Amino acid sequence: MKSRFLILLLAPTTLLHSALGASTTAAEDRLKAAVKEVLALAAVASSPADLARDLRPVLLKNICFDAMTRRAVGPGWRQFTAPQQEKAIALFTTLVIRTYGDKFTPGEHPNIQFKPASTPAPGRVEIPTTILYQGSRYEVVYRLEEAEDWRITDVVIEGISLVANYRSQFDAAFKKDGANGVISALTQAEDQS
Amino acid sequence: MKSHTSLLTAALLAAALTGCASPRKPATPAPTAAVGKSLSDGKSVKGATDDLDEYAVAGIADPLEPVNRVTFWLNHQLYTFVLRPVSKTYEFILPKPVRKGIYNVFDNVEFPVRFVNHALQGKFQRAGQETGKFVVNSVLGVGGLIRMSDKFPAIANVPVATTGQTFAKWGLGNGLYIVLPVIGPSSARDTAGLAGDVALNPVTWIGFIYGTWAWTIPVSAADTVSVLPEKLSQYDAATKNALDRYLSARTAYAQFREEQNRK
Repeated sequence: MKSRFLILLLAPTTLLHSALGASTTAAEDRLKAAVKEVLALAAVASSPADLARDLRPVLLKNICFDAMTRRAVGPGWRQFTAPQQEKAIALFTTLVIRTYGDKFTPGEHPNIQFKPASTPAPGRVEIPTTILYQGSRYEVVYRLEEAEDWRITDVVIEGISLVANYRSQFDAAFKKDGANGVISALTQAEDQS
Repeated sequence: MKSHTSLLTAALLAAALTGCASPRKPATPAPTAAVGKSLSDGKSVKGATDDLDEYAVAGIADPLEPVNRVTFWLNHQLYTFVLRPVSKTYEFILPKPVRKGIYNVFDNVEFPVRFVNHALQGKFQRAGQETGKFVVNSVLGVGGLIRMSDKFPAIANVPVATTGQTFAKWGLGNGLYIVLPVIGPSSARDTAGLAGDVALNPVTWIGFIYGTWAWTIPVSAADTVSVLPEKLSQYDAATKNALDRYLSARTAYAQFREEQNRK
């Protein structure tokens, strides 16, 4: 009787644990596949611009730019009209892809070590990695969430979150000129390249 | 990573491969949990809460923003028109292995900054690791030219320790955000800490040891030039795609220092 009670008590915990373990594995697999694909492209790219172009389809598949954009904008997102949201997502997507492409120097091969993932909440996984690149070591955490599939929603490099970093800039643009201010700032940033 | 340049690194890392926020509030909180929120593409995300309220901006008081912006702009001009040509020339003249060797030597020499601060923070194991790293690099690495410590996992990746971090560990808040000329983003606490780092840096001691300051300036200049290519490359990556370079650097600094203080 006592043991049955114990089993009943532990069963949900065990099920939850195995479910979280499965999701962690799926997220890890997804990230590793994406990283492998990106590194293969980076190895043959002749310039950051070419790399950004080649990376686009891969990153569109693996990064949830919608979530990334709305979180970077913050509560002001609710005041964006649908076309403004669409425009902001498109511009931010291009900016993030370009930012990502700029990280690679043709001919340099980063060495990435994956560390054990954690599950801060159901449907969310954080995967810490150590990247050795050009003689320097960087601690990079990938945050993934599950929609239809696992996708990256933020990248945190040495404690600096990509989303949080843009959030401060979007906040300022939104407070000044609303949604149009954000779109205008994004357009200017894109034109600066 | 060289300890005395980590403040600059913070700014340069900014939105780069993408400082001193309140230690009581995480600068970049991991998204919190709840159930059933959908993304704008209509796909349900398990465990999402109102994700618009996540990622509160990492904060550091900046009442001097108008002045800081001017200093930031001047620094940008300095990086672009003076330090970049110096860096390019340095890269042109010396091959990469030589530059790396010079960088390693200065990094190794700055061992006292890291050792003392680890000890002052009560992290004696790390102080021991730093000592081991210094001995290995000095002996096996020919005076620090080669970073042999990378081959020993136990000492390959010892976190950096600065006086600013020590002050944070002792409970001192950030104070104001300050953009220092040349160096870049800092805070009142880290500016005071920088003085400690300079005092603990053997490069500074040269003047005292030899009774003349004639060698201090060229050696310090060589130390600075040795880190320029790396720092400028990070600065470019950081500011190139920012909507507002100043804000990007400030937020990155706040997040970076928060992370460093947490380690």
